[in-house]
Parts: sequence; structure tokens; C-alpha cells
Amino acid sequence: MTRRAKTALLVGVVIALALMGWYGFGADNDTTLVNNVAGGSNPSRGLSGPGFGASNPAASDGGPYSATGLKSRQEQLALWQGRHERAEQIFASYRDATRYPYDSRPIAEHPDQVHPFAPIAEELKLRNANGEEVKGMRLRTTQERVFLSGTESVKFTVSVRDENIRPLPLVIRSARAQSIPDSRTPIKLVQASVVFSDDGTGADDASGDGTYSGRLTPVSQGFQNYGGTIRLLVELTADAEQGVAHFDVVYTPDVPATWAGVREALEAGSLNFYLKAQVRTAGRYVVSARVDDANGVPFALLQFNDEVAAGIREFKLQVFGALVLDKRPAFPLRLRDVDGFLLIPDKFPDRSTMARQPGVVHVSAIYARSRFSAAEWNSEERQRYLEEYGKDAETARRQVEELSGR
Amino acid sequence: MRSVCLAFFRQHHARAVRPLLVFLLFIAGGVYATNYSLWINGRSNTAQPGNYADFTYWGPASTAAGVNKKSVNWDGFSRVSDQNYRVRDALDCYCTGTNWCYIAAHSAGNLQIGYALSLYGGTARSKKNATPNSSGVCGNSDGSTQTGWNIKWVNVAAGAGGGSELANVGSWAVSDPLTSDLKTATARALYDHSQTRAKWFYMYAGAKGTLYSAVLPGQDDEAVAYHSSGGVSGNGGAGFCNPSDWFCNDLTLGTAANEGGKAKWSYHSVAFRDDAEALNHYTNGAWGGVVSKVRADMAANAN
Repeated sequence: MTRRAKTALLVGVVIALALMGWYGFGADNDTTLVNNVAGGSNPSRGLSGPGFGASNPAASDGGPYSATGLKSRQEQLALWQGRHERAEQIFASYRDATRYPYDSRPIAEHPDQVHPFAPIAEELKLRNANGEEVKGMRLRTTQERVFLSGTESVKFTVSVRDENIRPLPLVIRSARAQSIPDSRTPIKLVQASVVFSDDGTGADDASGDGTYSGRLTPVSQGFQNYGGTIRLLVELTADAEQGVAHFDVVYTPDVPATWAGVREALEAGSLNFYLKAQVRTAGRYVVSARVDDANGVPFALLQFNDEVAAGIREFKLQVFGALVLDKRPAFPLRLRDVDGFLLIPDKFPDRSTMARQPGVVHVSAIYARSRFSAAEWNSEERQRYLEEYGKDAETARRQVEELSGR
Repeated sequence: MRSVCLAFFRQHHARAVRPLLVFLLFIAGGVYATNYSLWINGRSNTAQPGNYADFTYWGPASTAAGVNKKSVNWDGFSRVSDQNYRVRDALDCYCTGTNWCYIAAHSAGNLQIGYALSLYGGTARSKKNATPNSSGVCGNSDGSTQTGWNIKWVNVAAGAGGGSELANVGSWAVSDPLTSDLKTATARALYDHSQTRAKWFYMYAGAKGTLYSAVLPGQDDEAVAYHSSGGVSGNGGAGFCNPSDWFCNDLTLGTAANEGGKAKWSYHSVAFRDDAEALNHYTNGAWGGVVSKVRADMAANAN
């Protein structure tokens, strides 16, 4: 054997060995198992692989044109038709969705973000301290927020209704807030009382309406050195029946950054709002703001999520040009309800909030539509996804064609 | 296998075939495109964290559950934020570079994948080699990074992304840190559930709930109500049911708003609604309950 022939033989052996090794590393054993529920563990491999005919009992029993062979083929066709439909839908929806960047979106896509500072209202059956239902009574609660920092406070309300939704007279027997340590090591608990009233003063909006309100201000009620969950337990009596309400908030004493104004700039066919901040703690900040048009119609949700250094910084929130041209909001635009927090990875609490900015915080100038770019958004991430999703759709389409005999 | 190949080359004509060896190691090392199926557990998990082959939470590891299946195995006890690194480690391992993932999540695993995508889905991720160490962390492949992960779609069984009223009233026997995250107000405030970066969440909702029907509004699977397992936006406490219940708003299939007008979170689609009230919340160590439906879909379509 010549030297060249030996080398060629070696190369052939090596390729064969490497392919065997690659298959060994790449595949889970379960891909060869029979899946009774789904009708096959990995139909794509079974169909296109060289061993399909030999490993498929239907095919070996009666051949591809036997009754069982045809049935198997119909099942495969149905499977691939389902895959094709899903793949096409995923490709099209991704392509359409990413016409705008992820951080400059129609607000209709984010129903929970339209009014972020609205109190969280819930209604449940009234329960006593043992968790037993109090028949015929429903507990209505609101809490202003879940996460808060620094000197921020949180308002709570409770009311009880009968089956005809009529408010029942209430007595608040006690309302106590307490730290809830997550650690398994015993630490000193912090406790504080919260005053609830229905007299139209303090936290209460209306006197005598049956809704009792209270406000917790952690920094001034003993929690100034505590970060974590504070649980408020309200014990009440309604129509001679006793019940309880629980609320959780997550508090951090430190405020990582403070707001310092807004400027705007029309740049590269998009409108950018720059929210200035004095950043005390560097890290990843997550900021969200809403944009209404001149008629007060909610239009866009703008988000920021990036690393920020300490010092005077700007959070850039973009109203993407194509979004303006597609949705045609009336100018000037109103930037409102801004919230933000420092995201703390792998810890609890996982965030330290900046002060909320409720209401309109900035009104834009009026811009002609011709100054906005109609170009759709693009990025390496988008191209990567479109390529993969497109490949999946094309593969499924070909399989359907092949199985349909086209 | 790799060591056998290396020994073979050392003995025979190493210089002549070195370029080929480099190429073959390149593809054998995981750089070649591979799809994976990642399973993200919910509450109470006794499997070994970081061991992606440990399917104790789900059922027999020999059961088909999607191509190259991996069990993410966070502890199911701590806060979502405390344990989310386990999920991000797994996503980094198997869903970067040329590798792509199908995701299946159960119960609080819904919160974990939603949290990861919403808050970390646009961050720079190091491309990994799909070869984890004992802690579940993979080595870098080529030293480069990419934005976010490569995810085809997400299947969610009995999703607790919207929390559970059982956590509100403390009905779960043990008050663990995770239960605090599962309170409806907290779970829904934890992140923007509609920010999935345009990845689809297919929701599978069970309705074989009787034990806690007095606590959970509408239809439930004994741990979460349809408002959560169906990916319904808004606050907790809202009741949604099967069409057979005339006194309760329907949870609609697909992406359409529910009866009564309440929208689903964006990129959330109800793929399964338990009209027969046959499936509960629990896997029972046998891929049971609503998970059985997700497993079937993964086995059939995560290829």
C-alpha cells in the first residue's frame, strides 16, 4: 500500500470513528424509545434516516403500501402538517413582532403595563385565621405596590361584601406588619402596627364607605435596616364573623438612583427620550415608561435594560420610527408613569426600586411624520431567529410535500 | 470516543491529518448545531441541582420527552430570583452558539423561564460548549457572546406565572420562600409577563381540581387556577372556566381574549384546556397530570 493510500485509509477510518463519536455525544438514549402517546419518539429521524424501513414494524410487516404502512404514512403526514403549521406561525409572528425592537413596543402588547401604578385589586372568599371559608362573604383588597424602597410607602385597603355585593360593617381588630426572613438562620424579627380607618383621613379616601385603609412606611416603622418581605396581617370582624387578610410587600432600604429630568432628541428617524438620573449604585437597571398620544390614547411601552455606571447618567428610551409611522399617534407625545429598579442578580430582594414618577413627566415637541424612518428594526439576534425559524418552516414544508407524494 | 480518536492519531501520521483532527474535534465538541429539550421543574424538587440527567422530579428518565432532554433542576424551594441562575446556566449551556432549545416548564418553572426571558433575555450571553461541570456550568465554546438565548418555543404545564391563591392563604403545608413569590400579587409584579422577546408560550391548563375549589377561583388543577395556567393578564382572583360552566367566563383556546374580555399575556397561547376535567397538577413521579400533555407534545414535536 502506498503512503497516499494509507493516508486516505486513515482519513476514512477517522471520519467514521468521529461520526460515531459525534452521534454518541449528541443524542439522548430516549430518542430511540417508543412514545405511545405521541405515536413515535422522533418521527423526523425515523422518516429521513436510513433505518426507517427496517425499524418500523408497519413497514416491515406489510411494506409501505400495506394497510399498516399507509396508516403510518398518514400519521406521519398529520404530524408534519402540525409541525409545519406551527413553524409557519412562529416564523411569521416573529418576523412581524420584531419589526420594532423589543424595547419599543405597541402598548397593546403589554396589557399589564398600561396603568402600572393602579392598585392591585383582588376579591376572594373571606377566610378566618384557620383558612376556613366564611360563608356568604367576600373580601376585597387593594395594595398600592409590591416592591418599594427608601422612604416610599404602600397603601392597603380592605372591605367585605355580602352575596349581593353590599358592603358590610367592619371592625379592624388588629393590623400588624412583620418581617419574613427567608434565611433558615434565626434573626431578629421586626414588627409594627398599621392603623386602618374609614374616616376619610390619612390613607382613607372616603369616610364611612365600608372600605378601611392603612399605610405602611417601612423606613419610619422600624424596617429601615431590613431588606426583604414584609407581611401585613389584618384581622377583622364583619357582621360578627371573623376573618383575615394577608398582604406581602418587598422592601429595600437603599435607593440606587434618583431621577434628574428628561430631554428628547429625534435621531436616525426615531424619537429618543433620555431620562437623566444620579446613579449611586452601578449595575443593571430596568426602566419602563408609557407613551400616550396627544389625545391621551395609550400608544407605546418603552423599556430600558442595561448596565449603568455610577454618576450622572441617561437612560435612553426610544420611540421607534416605524412604530410611529404604523400607529400614527397624534403629537405631541406624553411620556408618563415611569418606574425603574436596579436588578440584583441571584439574590433576594432582587431589586432596589427608584422612586415612581406617576403621571405625565414630559411632553414631546411636535414632529412631522416625514422625519421618522420607515425602516424595520434589525439585529444579529433577529437575523439568527429568522434564519432558524425559516429553516424549520422550510424543512416541515418539504416533509409534508414528500409525504403527500407531491 | 474522543480519547480513542486522539490515541489513534498520535500513533499514525499525526502531522498529515492534524487539520482534519482539529475539524473533527470542533464538531465533536458540540459546536455543530444540536437541538435540546430543557425541562424546568416547579415547587419541591429533590433532584440534584446542576445534574441535567436527573429526572427525579418528572418521572422515569427513559421516557421520551423531546430531543436530547435535560432536566434543569433548580431547588423548587428558594425564591425565584435566588435560583434563576440555574435556569440561566442551563440556557447558556444548551441554547447558545449553534445550539437551539425547546423549553418545557411546570408550575413555578413558568415563573423561572418567564423571569429569565423578561429580565435577562436581552443580555449578552457567552456561547457555551454544552458540556457541563458538576455544578451545571458549561465551558465557553469560542469566547464570543450573543444577545439572549436560542429558544424555539416554550411549553408550560400548569403554569404558576400568575401565582396561586393557595399561596395567598397559606394553604401549602410548608411556608417556604418560594410560596411568597407564588402569591398572586407578587408573581404578577415580578416581571413583565408579556416580554417574552416574541417567543411563544404554549399553555396547558388542567382542571381536575376538587380539594381546593373553595380557594382557587374558577377551574383549577388543585394548585393553580385557569387565570394562571391559561396565561391571563391582570390581577389574581379572577375565575375562568371550561365552556360547560355557564356561570363563569370561559378560558378561550389560542390567543384570543377570554370571555368577559380579559386578554392573555402576549405570545401566550392556550394549547390545552382540560374540558374533561381529567388532569391535575401533579407529576406523581410518572410524567403525570397536565405534564403528560406537555410531554407528549415535546416527544412529538421537539425534534
